[in-house]
Amino acid sequence: MHELPVVLDLLRVMDEETKKRGLHKVSRIRLVIGELSSIIDESVQMYFEIAAKDSVCANAALEFEHRPAVLKCLKCGKEFPHEKSFSCPDCGGDATLVKGTGREFYIESFDGE
Amino acid sequence: MEVILMKELLEANDKLAEENRAYFSSRHILAVNLMGAPGSGKTTLISAVARELPDLRIGVIEGDIASSIDAENLEKQGIRSSQINTCGECHLDSHVIREGADQLNMKDAIVFIENVGNLICPAEFDLGESVRLLAASVPEGDDKPFKYVPMFSYIDAVALTKCDLKDAVGFDTRNFLKGLRAVSKAPVFEVSLKKGAAPSGAAEVAAYLKKKYEEIK
Repeated sequence: MHELPVVLDLLRVMDEETKKRGLHKVSRIRLVIGELSSIIDESVQMYFEIAAKDSVCANAALEFEHRPAVLKCLKCGKEFPHEKSFSCPDCGGDATLVKGTGREFYIESFDGE
Repeated sequence: MEVILMKELLEANDKLAEENRAYFSSRHILAVNLMGAPGSGKTTLISAVARELPDLRIGVIEGDIASSIDAENLEKQGIRSSQINTCGECHLDSHVIREGADQLNMKDAIVFIENVGNLICPAEFDLGESVRLLAASVPEGDDKPFKYVPMFSYIDAVALTKCDLKDAVGFDTRNFLKGLRAVSKAPVFEVSLKKGAAPSGAAEVAAYLKKKYEEIK
């Protein structure tokens, strides 16, 4: 829902980082997005195509890497990615969220020239 | 060439959030980010909690897509409020909070930031608050912690509102707690603020916030 401000932030960061390094073109950006950060790839892509037009990132490809939230079983201790269930796939026990997992939201790297 | 960056996005908001945190702290304000779905009873909860804390100064920064209905109603009860209209934006961010706080111009107070009614986006934007309170209402259903994990894992406390409707809508408290406990240790306060009936639960929420307020001294 709020991907436009996110894309504008992305472009601002890319503008700063390319200037710092004397780069004038970006061809690829790799983003890491945690499951709990509520960011939709397709919306980011759509806004990016519009907003990046006259920037150093024009026509750059976006790559999305997703990181799951991780749950830990309270009964047997198994750690597993949260998909649909909060119950342990091994023993069926209740599980708890491993703090900090799934909240990632950052630019991992980019290709520039 | 490949450049390894590892740079957080939404950094601009997070920086402003830290500035807000310093501002609130310098004025001895407990800022409470109150989130919840539209109609979950956020404004009603603020009114009821304020009535339980007659000795404390209470202020409200009201966030809404449009209108100033909530701020006007709170002002009628003598609760100081400032209105922020987000003009369609689905959440409040740190930048607008500072404007609202400047308008309020309070010190030594509990200030509620009533976020836009939404269970998704507000969980993404730190506002510089000390407490994240969620108003989750019984008619929304007991399965919401399973469906809105980002929000339910983001909060410090839950006011489970409209508890008088549990039987009417078949709300399963155990299932709600199962989902919540998987992602959060937040205490749950069961609240019922039906018009014309005796309020219940607001005093417990008020006591929780008062304790948090005293801890920042």
